[in-house]
Amino acid sequence: MNNKLNAKDLINVGIFTAIYFVLVFAFSMLGVIPIFMPLLCVVVPIIGGVPFMLFLTKVKKFGMILIMSLLTGLLMLLTGMGYFALIVSAVSGLIAEFVIRSGGYKSASKAILTSGIFSIWIWGNYILLFINREAYFATRQSFGQEYIDALTNLTPIWICPVLLVVAFVSGIIGGLFGRVLLKKHFIKAGIV
Amino acid sequence: MQWSILQTDVDARGLVLDPRTKLLLLITMAVFVLGGVGSAKLSFFNPVLCLVPFFLLLLSHRVKTAMVSLLLYILAYLIMLFVVPHTMGLINYLLLGTGVVVMRLLPGILTGMYVLSSTTVSEFTAAMRKIHVSEKLIIPLSVMFRFFPTVIDEYSSIKDAMCMRGVNFGGRNAGKALEYRLVPLMICSVKIGQELSAAALTRGLGGNVHRTNVCRIGFHITDTVVMALCAAPYVGLLLSWCGVL
Repeated sequence: MNNKLNAKDLINVGIFTAIYFVLVFAFSMLGVIPIFMPLLCVVVPIIGGVPFMLFLTKVKKFGMILIMSLLTGLLMLLTGMGYFALIVSAVSGLIAEFVIRSGGYKSASKAILTSGIFSIWIWGNYILLFINREAYFATRQSFGQEYIDALTNLTPIWICPVLLVVAFVSGIIGGLFGRVLLKKHFIKAGIV
Repeated sequence: MQWSILQTDVDARGLVLDPRTKLLLLITMAVFVLGGVGSAKLSFFNPVLCLVPFFLLLLSHRVKTAMVSLLLYILAYLIMLFVVPHTMGLINYLLLGTGVVVMRLLPGILTGMYVLSSTTVSEFTAAMRKIHVSEKLIIPLSVMFRFFPTVIDEYSSIKDAMCMRGVNFGGRNAGKALEYRLVPLMICSVKIGQELSAAALTRGLGGNVHRTNVCRIGFHITDTVVMALCAAPYVGLLLSWCGVL
């Protein structure tokens, strides 16, 4: 089999990134309410798991997940979430790529694990909040002091690694959720 | 049809900027308006930058959108300036929240709208190739930007259909709402995607030869003006880092 990415693969990457991003963006609007800010780490990977698992059924070559991951990071940069997500997504995308390859692009459990690792990109959005709290809030000054206080209380420094784990676990839950939907609907409809 | 503003209409788009200029504008808006970098010292410049997308929309014959959003922006600005300091508690929080969302997100969204509605895929591809982006990124990117309006359009149709059957958040079958919206959206997106790749392949995408492109892209006077406006906050940021400002 030809292992180079062809146009069809790249178009698939574009389509699924678009769906993924629209969903992520819609749910990220909840972040305006302080309590939802850390909770996004749970919500986004679970919802995103559905398109991602469907995407994985189209992935048969090395590179597709990495490109999707990079594009997601790039979109975060364009929507003003900072450049950390791009750095994290490059690394997590590469690891996800190796994991799915180790399962020969067929293994279901590896696919769910991949969904977990891929989801770690969202953790990148929080890094600035922990390593440079002043800089983070300087960019959110206009949200008002109450928002800042609420968010500071909600995110003590030890929660940083916790969020990483939470993102990973939620990604796995999202993967399982996506897999259930895949079995229930998509295989029946002949999409997969 | 509310989202048809995102689709490109080549005949009636008025002012044409180079896609590279638009990209620079998009990044600048994301960094300084949405991201709020250097907000304390450079905040006076933000309204100036925010006016750019309104003008661009006006110049590309989107008068209604431009006017409505400009009014909204000014309203939010005035509320933030005069009303918010005199309110307390919940009302303060609500006003502040809405004001911030409008002031930060609206210019960014408008820029995005302008870029999407005034750039054809061919122009975008030509510009990306000029700045030597890999083909592996150009194809997904161009598909993605063309696909956003489709996803949103399909989603709103599905939402309407499901609302008619009582499957909506807050309706009788709220629990099913998510599943019954996501699944049809995925299925139709995959179908559209298959058609899209078939169409692209028949037009020679992914062939071994170098593809040609008839789009004329290049920098004009308007590009220079927009670029100068975009460059200003970066210069300001550099100066403030050096301790001048």
